[in-house]
Amino acid sequence: MGKRDGDVRISLQTLRALEAFLENPSDELSGADVQKRSGLASGTLYPILLRLESAGWFVSRWEAIDPVSAGRPRRRLYRLTPSGLARASGIFASFGRGVPA
Amino acid sequence: MNGQSLWDLSLARYLVGCAARKAPPGLAERLEEEWLADLMVRQGAFSRIRFGLGCCWATRVIAREFGVAAAAAGSSATGNRLLVGYGGPDLSGFSRRTTAIIAIVCLHVGIFYLYLTGFTRTIVVNPARPLNGDFIDQPRTRPQPTPPQPPTFTTTTFDNVPLPDLKFKFPAAPRAITAAQSSQPSGPVQPPPTRIDRVMGGPGAGFPNTEDYYPPAARRLGEVGTSVISVCVDPRGRLTAAPRIVASSGIGQIDEGALRLASAGSGHYRPTTENGRAVAACYAFRIRFQLEDQ
Repeated sequence: MGKRDGDVRISLQTLRALEAFLENPSDELSGADVQKRSGLASGTLYPILLRLESAGWFVSRWEAIDPVSAGRPRRRLYRLTPSGLARASGIFASFGRGVPA
Repeated sequence: MNGQSLWDLSLARYLVGCAARKAPPGLAERLEEEWLADLMVRQGAFSRIRFGLGCCWATRVIAREFGVAAAAAGSSATGNRLLVGYGGPDLSGFSRRTTAIIAIVCLHVGIFYLYLTGFTRTIVVNPARPLNGDFIDQPRTRPQPTPPQPPTFTTTTFDNVPLPDLKFKFPAAPRAITAAQSSQPSGPVQPPPTRIDRVMGGPGAGFPNTEDYYPPAARRLGEVGTSVISVCVDPRGRLTAAPRIVASSGIGQIDEGALRLASAGSGHYRPTTENGRAVAACYAFRIRFQLEDQ
């Protein structure tokens, strides 16, 4: 069972999603990017992203393109907030794993 | 794109659209556009369909976690207000995992309860009927064995039975005695016959050695024993009848060897003598078979 940190239940899948962001905390990743890095299924990944965003760990925005001219829908980009980065770093540090600050 | 790619992409887009429409109203438009954008990155029919099915599952989870909040907050173009405003702790109850664990624990408790009290309840509901014992007035009489009747004896008197006419044949008396009896009335009384000095015979000179008739099987088995053999020997030391076992050694092979030895010794027996004169007589003697080291 996961533990709750900042009103978010930290499960193994949540840690894998956070690990994808901690490779380069300043990157903005779409759901497809996180899925490619973490290997999580879509049915697991998107509820985690929404859960962490609602808890303030992530912020998200639409990709700045014109869907009509690009010929594809806009992607939703997620990025770690400073508080989210600090919490994620603390969690991984408690497991004895270094993360880039 | 070929026909197969259009087919699986259309199916995946359909699944994503259905999933997004079942999401909370404030998140439906956002999730549909977001998922469709991520679907375009997918390569392969299996991966796309799997992505669409995963979105259906994600909708169920999101609707459970954010459904109440979405209904209260209403539609939003971005969904940010919804998530910020209703992203607090889930107070609706236990998570699915916790609920499953509680259900499993309750199931085990119920099973143990049935094991501990189930049979007791059965006994209480269906108590055993009381046993009513009735005593029989007539006591049981055990049949007594009848004592044996004393034997009865009858006495029969044969007073008038005629006695049979029995005739016995006695062997002829020796001549000397006959002569003596015949001479009794005429001559003086003869003195009683003198004492006969009788010496019993036995194996004599040239009698076979027991080692030559030791049964080989008995020798290998280390069997030893003594047999008593009865022989009838004439005055010349020859057997007049087949020897026979008087007392067995207890071992069949030893007895057979003794009989063969006694038969082979015919002609080498020392005859019985009466007053120094050899006579025909029967006597017994022992034949012992023993190993050399004993």
